[in-house]
Amino acid sequence: MKIWILSLLIILIVVGFVLALASFYIVDQTQQAVVLRFGKIVSVKTEPGIYIKQPFIDKVVRFDKRILLYDIEPEKIIASDKKTLVIDTYVLWRIKDPETFIKSLKSVQLALPRIDDVVYSHVRNIFAKSNFDEIISEKREELLKEVTELSREALKDFGIEVVDVRVKHADLPAENEQAVYNRMRAERYSIAAQIRAEGEKEARKIRAEADKTAKVLIAEAQSTAEQIKGTGEASAVKIYAEIFSKDKDFYEFWRTMEVYRSIEGGILLIGDELDSFKYLKSE
Amino acid sequence: MGKYVWIVLFIAVGIYMLTGVYQVGPSEVALIKTFGKFSSVVQPGIHYHLPYPFQSHVIVDISTVRKVEIGFRSIQRGGRITYQSVSQEAIMITGDNNLVSVEAVVQYRVKDPVAYAFNITEADSIVRFTTESVLREKVAMRNIDDVLTIGRDEIGLETAKMVQKILDSYNCGIKVENVYLQEVVPPDPVVDAFDDVNNARQDKERLINEARKYANDIVPKAQGQAQEILRQAEAYAQEVYLKALGEAERFNRILKEYTKAPDITRKRMLLDALQSILEKNKDKVIFIGDADSLNVLNISELLKEMGK
Repeated sequence: MKIWILSLLIILIVVGFVLALASFYIVDQTQQAVVLRFGKIVSVKTEPGIYIKQPFIDKVVRFDKRILLYDIEPEKIIASDKKTLVIDTYVLWRIKDPETFIKSLKSVQLALPRIDDVVYSHVRNIFAKSNFDEIISEKREELLKEVTELSREALKDFGIEVVDVRVKHADLPAENEQAVYNRMRAERYSIAAQIRAEGEKEARKIRAEADKTAKVLIAEAQSTAEQIKGTGEASAVKIYAEIFSKDKDFYEFWRTMEVYRSIEGGILLIGDELDSFKYLKSE
Repeated sequence: MGKYVWIVLFIAVGIYMLTGVYQVGPSEVALIKTFGKFSSVVQPGIHYHLPYPFQSHVIVDISTVRKVEIGFRSIQRGGRITYQSVSQEAIMITGDNNLVSVEAVVQYRVKDPVAYAFNITEADSIVRFTTESVLREKVAMRNIDDVLTIGRDEIGLETAKMVQKILDSYNCGIKVENVYLQEVVPPDPVVDAFDDVNNARQDKERLINEARKYANDIVPKAQGQAQEILRQAEAYAQEVYLKALGEAERFNRILKEYTKAPDITRKRMLLDALQSILEKNKDKVIFIGDADSLNVLNISELLKEMGK
């Protein structure tokens, strides 16, 4: 009897618990929910909290409320200057309106290809109007803003808010990379050649400058030396002139004697004109 | 029998209630959700909240600096860290259409745990993609030489700033601490060409230094030589002057004596000179007398006689 009551009680508790679980649903802070009754939307909850639903009849479909990241596969595009680029984009998006979202796209799984289509076609359109350099550098931000705007507008109707579209990579296709490398190599080798030539130039300049300085130094010294020698010689000439003019005749004689004394070697011929040799002759 | 059922029931309820116990680590905070709705932030320690389905918690690490690597991955293998390059991520186009390999590390922290936990998914990927995207833009604004040299720090700073701005626009509660550029080098296929430029710079320096060495050698030598020439000239001038002075004095003195007895002195001097000549040319004197006779004299004898 007692066991019978107890069993009933336990069954009641379990049934009550299951019923409670089926009648309430919790929407997490990170989620939003759409309540479906036989496939028809009966309510949409975007705020977190606990809500009541018809047990076993209402189906709760939850969607993330947070920003989602969708990394789109890289694809080739052709810029306005006919250069090919591999553009790798990603989209940050969130489900803004779960009702519209579930009506038009059903699930995130099915939404992604649609986002891909929309974003990619806009990337292609906008980027194809710009040239390679613009896509690569400053203007990219502007182009992306445009792509983001257009994508946002296009995906609004699906209950999706495009937060941002960005280009992760904008690379050259592999076949162009090799060409760039070849060009870079050529450029560097030419820079290297120029640097070496400049070194040569500098070096020659320094050497020539040094040679010139050295030559000028010596020439200047030689010039000054000549002047100094001249001054000395002039002084000497003056002294000689002054002293020898005292007796020109004797000077001549004395000087001649000096010359005689300095004669060395050779065969001496003595003519009889020489008055001085009369002593020799008379023998 | 009934008693046991109550005990079992009590234990079951007890265990259920105990699932509300949670621990928050020192670098973490816990975000408490009541019926799924965020209600409070809980600091480190051991805490209790009502069990499922009433309350739940999310733990967010707010102090630890997280790291995302771009262009490479560090692989920890048995206490040793090895780096592996991911060239697909690292190769970037520069403003002058060159390619450069850039490796970077982004460090970030959670500054707003609520926003971090409830506003975004895949935080790591968002930080990685945003940084990659901004980094590439910044690299593309400069030419390759700037990227390799002076632009490095600037690129890191600008990227960090820009990434922060973009992340803030997502309201994702992330603070970018730093973007550090790691290895910024020319891509492998062109490394040798870049090295050649560096070698060329060395060669240039070497050539210039050699020239300077030459200049440093030749100029002082020339200065020395110039001094030598000047001193020699001065010496010569002095020599000539002093010789003149001496000779003049000598002449002066001789003249003084000469004037006392001109004739005799003259004769004596002539003979002295003759003697000197003859002594030096003992065997080689040809005396030319009258045109028709050629007399060869024996000087030795002659000198003997003269000496008498």
